[in-house]
Amino acid sequence: MTRVLVVDDEPQILRALRINLRARRYEVAVAADGADALRLAASQPPDLVVLDLGLPDMDGVDVIRGLRGWTNIPIIVLSGRAGSQDKVLALDAGADDYVTKPFGVDELLARVRAVTRRTAGAGETVATVTVGRFTVDLAARTVRSDDGREVRLTPTEWHLLEILIRNPGRLVSQRQLLHDVWGPQYQSETNYLRQYMAQLRRKLEDDPARPRHLLTEPGMGYRFQPE
Amino acid sequence: MRQDRLVARGQLRIHLGAAPGVGKTYAMLEEAHRRAERGTDVVVGFAETHGRKHTAAMLGDLEIVPRRTMNYRGAEFTEMDLDAVLARRPEIAVVDELAHTNVPGSRNAKRWQDVQELLDAGIDVLSTVNIQHLESLNDVVEQITGITQRETLPDDVVRSAEQVELVDMTPEALRRRMAHGNIYRADKIDAALGNYFRVGNLTALRELALLWLADKVDDQLDRYRAEHNIGAKWEARERVVVALTGGPEGETLIRRAARVAARTPTGADLLAVHVSRSDGLTGVDPTQLARQRVLVESLGGTYHQVVGGDIATALLDFARGVNASQIVLGASRRGRLAQIFSRGVGVTTVALSGSIDVHLVTHDQMGHGRRPPSVTSALSRRRRLSGFGLAAIGLPVLTVLLRLLADDLSLASDILLFLGMVIAVALVGGLWPALLAAVAASFVINFFFTPPLHAFTISQRENLLALVVFLLVAAAVSMVVDLAARRTREAARASADAQTLAMVAGSVLRGTRPLTALLERLRETFGLTSVTLLERAPEVSAGPDRQRDPRAWQVAGTVGPAPCLTPAGGDVEVRAAENLSLVLCGRVLAAADRRVVEAFAAQAALALRQERLAEEAATARPLAEADRMRTALLAAVSHDLRTPLASAKAAVTSLRSDEVDFDESDREELLATADESLDRLTRLVTNLLDMSRLQAGVLGLSLAPIGLEDAVPPVLDEMGEPARGVRVSLPAHLRAVLADPGLLERVLVNLVANALRFSPPDRPPSISASEHGGLVELRVTDYGPGLPHDQWERAFLPFQRHGDRDNHAGVGLGLALSRGLAEAMGGTLVPEDTPGGGLTMVLSLPAAEGDNA
Repeated sequence: MTRVLVVDDEPQILRALRINLRARRYEVAVAADGADALRLAASQPPDLVVLDLGLPDMDGVDVIRGLRGWTNIPIIVLSGRAGSQDKVLALDAGADDYVTKPFGVDELLARVRAVTRRTAGAGETVATVTVGRFTVDLAARTVRSDDGREVRLTPTEWHLLEILIRNPGRLVSQRQLLHDVWGPQYQSETNYLRQYMAQLRRKLEDDPARPRHLLTEPGMGYRFQPE
Repeated sequence: MRQDRLVARGQLRIHLGAAPGVGKTYAMLEEAHRRAERGTDVVVGFAETHGRKHTAAMLGDLEIVPRRTMNYRGAEFTEMDLDAVLARRPEIAVVDELAHTNVPGSRNAKRWQDVQELLDAGIDVLSTVNIQHLESLNDVVEQITGITQRETLPDDVVRSAEQVELVDMTPEALRRRMAHGNIYRADKIDAALGNYFRVGNLTALRELALLWLADKVDDQLDRYRAEHNIGAKWEARERVVVALTGGPEGETLIRRAARVAARTPTGADLLAVHVSRSDGLTGVDPTQLARQRVLVESLGGTYHQVVGGDIATALLDFARGVNASQIVLGASRRGRLAQIFSRGVGVTTVALSGSIDVHLVTHDQMGHGRRPPSVTSALSRRRRLSGFGLAAIGLPVLTVLLRLLADDLSLASDILLFLGMVIAVALVGGLWPALLAAVAASFVINFFFTPPLHAFTISQRENLLALVVFLLVAAAVSMVVDLAARRTREAARASADAQTLAMVAGSVLRGTRPLTALLERLRETFGLTSVTLLERAPEVSAGPDRQRDPRAWQVAGTVGPAPCLTPAGGDVEVRAAENLSLVLCGRVLAAADRRVVEAFAAQAALALRQERLAEEAATARPLAEADRMRTALLAAVSHDLRTPLASAKAAVTSLRSDEVDFDESDREELLATADESLDRLTRLVTNLLDMSRLQAGVLGLSLAPIGLEDAVPPVLDEMGEPARGVRVSLPAHLRAVLADPGLLERVLVNLVANALRFSPPDRPPSISASEHGGLVELRVTDYGPGLPHDQWERAFLPFQRHGDRDNHAGVGLGLALSRGLAEAMGGTLVPEDTPGGGLTMVLSLPAAEGDNA
């Protein structure tokens, strides 16, 4: 059973999430402040943390840093802070995803599933992935459309696509993409990302103006949404 | 009647306090213990602990005479059992609260009469009394506290006590004791008591107590003064002027003057003044003056400089100008010889001072003289006279001497010696005495030394030439001397100017209002009536009448009475900048002074610009502050709106989800979550709307008399379950308040919600009300962690917490709105410490007119 630690100082939110997660057979632990959260996470390590950033005793970002000091468990930030600066800060500190309040429970649960799937299947290698009408063969490094025609991707486009596909459903931050594809000295060149993502969409999305698989999370990063 | 008792009368010792809670009873009991330990027979006749635990503990093992219980109008009262104490015959009886009024039916109406009986019986009594109970102070106390004291006792009773000891405590410490709950329990505090314990009140009462006691110590002061001394404090302050010469003795004088000022009973201002001689021949040491200026300013005084020909007159003019009552002067530094020839400044000042007291202060530098007498001095009248004198005396003397030695010296030597004499006269007296001496010497030489002797004829042409050269040399030398003297005068003048300018620069750099300080300095230095800096209105075009058109000019800064309103209206006008003009009234200045005034003008323009910049900076600061506030407000509002919205949406979306089936209790809980969150959202939106209406000034007040007993219960009902534990105690006969029913409810909801938020679960908040001075005060008291005083005002600013940090401990809109609404209804909302810990919000509203329910 997946154990989820929910950290929020708002009792109503705690209650609603507890009921929902229990109903979906998650084991739920709750904490109302940062110190409590860190203590609980250390004594009974959860499989996933859902974390509010505005806590009475410390900032949520510090809680992320505290957790990242010793564990890689996925962290989903759940916050009323909608500014992109706040999101980037949380993601850079090591959060895996970011959901702004108010939120639909379904959306949150989908994110929960996405990050737990990633960690559960971290060891497996996926041979092929379908992106719309294209099939991506990660082993052979080829992309074919359903009519058998091969789509040519540049090495950078490949690298970018591979990272996103290997993290299905998960938000990958701009910073991480830049770091992994271009190198550690690239941190703020988000225009590169925009450009290559646009090229990928032109090649792989039916309607590049309304992408369904290669999604942008404005100000935060990109997400590969499988079917 | 007392005299015929056989026993010696007992002694009365009173512990006098300024207010309840300073520790009188405690001190009295301490004294009782001390005496008991020394083996004295002490009993407690009556001690009132007021439920204060430290005081109760102090009673300890002292023997207590049981009180007498009395019935009066159906209620039970306990009083000191006088007969029992008399029968017990202790050496010392402890009887608290000397001013107490006994229950009707007792033997004596007042407790102090009981005490008199004890004293008559030879029993020493230890007692306590508060200053406000003294009869003579009754009216003053009423003025201060607004409370009429019913229990009073004659001053003589206290005055005749063998010992009166003041139990003193600072108002702040007393308030701290109050906040700790050491004086009254929280539920005892009502409007009257809260008002009584204000720092201002306590300070006034303390002053009264100290004065009263001082009065007793010094019986010369009569009672009248004790009553009115508070008012007497505000007499016009005296002013002490200290005159500085720029010499090293200045520091001694300043310190001495500061002591004179400090010793003045009502306090005095200290003004230091340095008189620059208008002939510039002061020989002052600027560094000394600068140091003394710093000293004066550090002692709280001010430094001034005036220009005057005669030091004594200038000094007295200044002193009269500032309304000084005392002048401190150094005793003369000149030697004895110099004092024979002229009266010193000190003597002259004393002679002319009139009603101003002059202190001549001795100092180490006395009789040392200022500096070596200067060789070059201006060709004053005195010098010219000395020149003539030297000529008149020197020439005959020289002639007689040379006649006696006639055989040993040639004519050339004679002429050279006379030439030397003429030069000496020139050096002392300048041109005219020198010329006179030259002509006289030529005649003398002609008559006595050139052949033919004893006749005014010159036989040899050579001698005639010598005589002419003689005259020319005398004229030339005396001209050089004159020139040198003039140069010296100019140099001295320039140094006086430089001194003044240095002061000007200093005054711009110092001080918060540099322009005013600068203009004042200018006015003082040149002895003007008024100095005004005028600024030309930008739209006025150049024209012949512009200089006298008052509409074209506005005053940028002015000192002195009756400022000139146009540049043409003053005696001197100096351009300070393109559109600025410095106008001086009072006298026309010498051309040489104009240079200094121009420097002043440039500085004044600079100072004006500096002030304007400072003003701009000052207006920018609140704007930046407002901007910061707005950002914080937005962040907080967005958080406060989002949080309940998030819970409601989470609950509703999960209910709508068809993925899972919730059981009945979960469904119920989710619905409750949504409901509570929406309630919270509603409250917030209502508050926000109220706040914006309040700020837009469209509140739409309709004031009506409302009884608090009608206003409070619905509020608690509205708040539901959490407010159930709130204790409410409203007095039965409370006047109605004048308030808007709807707004009052909003205020009460916010106050109670706030109190609930901070209350520990086991100590719910309480609501009480009372009335004082036309105001009804409602107290919402919590027993939570309280709030440090420095954060009290912050608590009333909207959304004063950091972003979304804390949902519970922070204060959102509630208090800000409540205060705004209370003030809109003509009331106030202020925080107080809850005795024993916590915060009490005091809502004062005007009582409804004519409602004496």
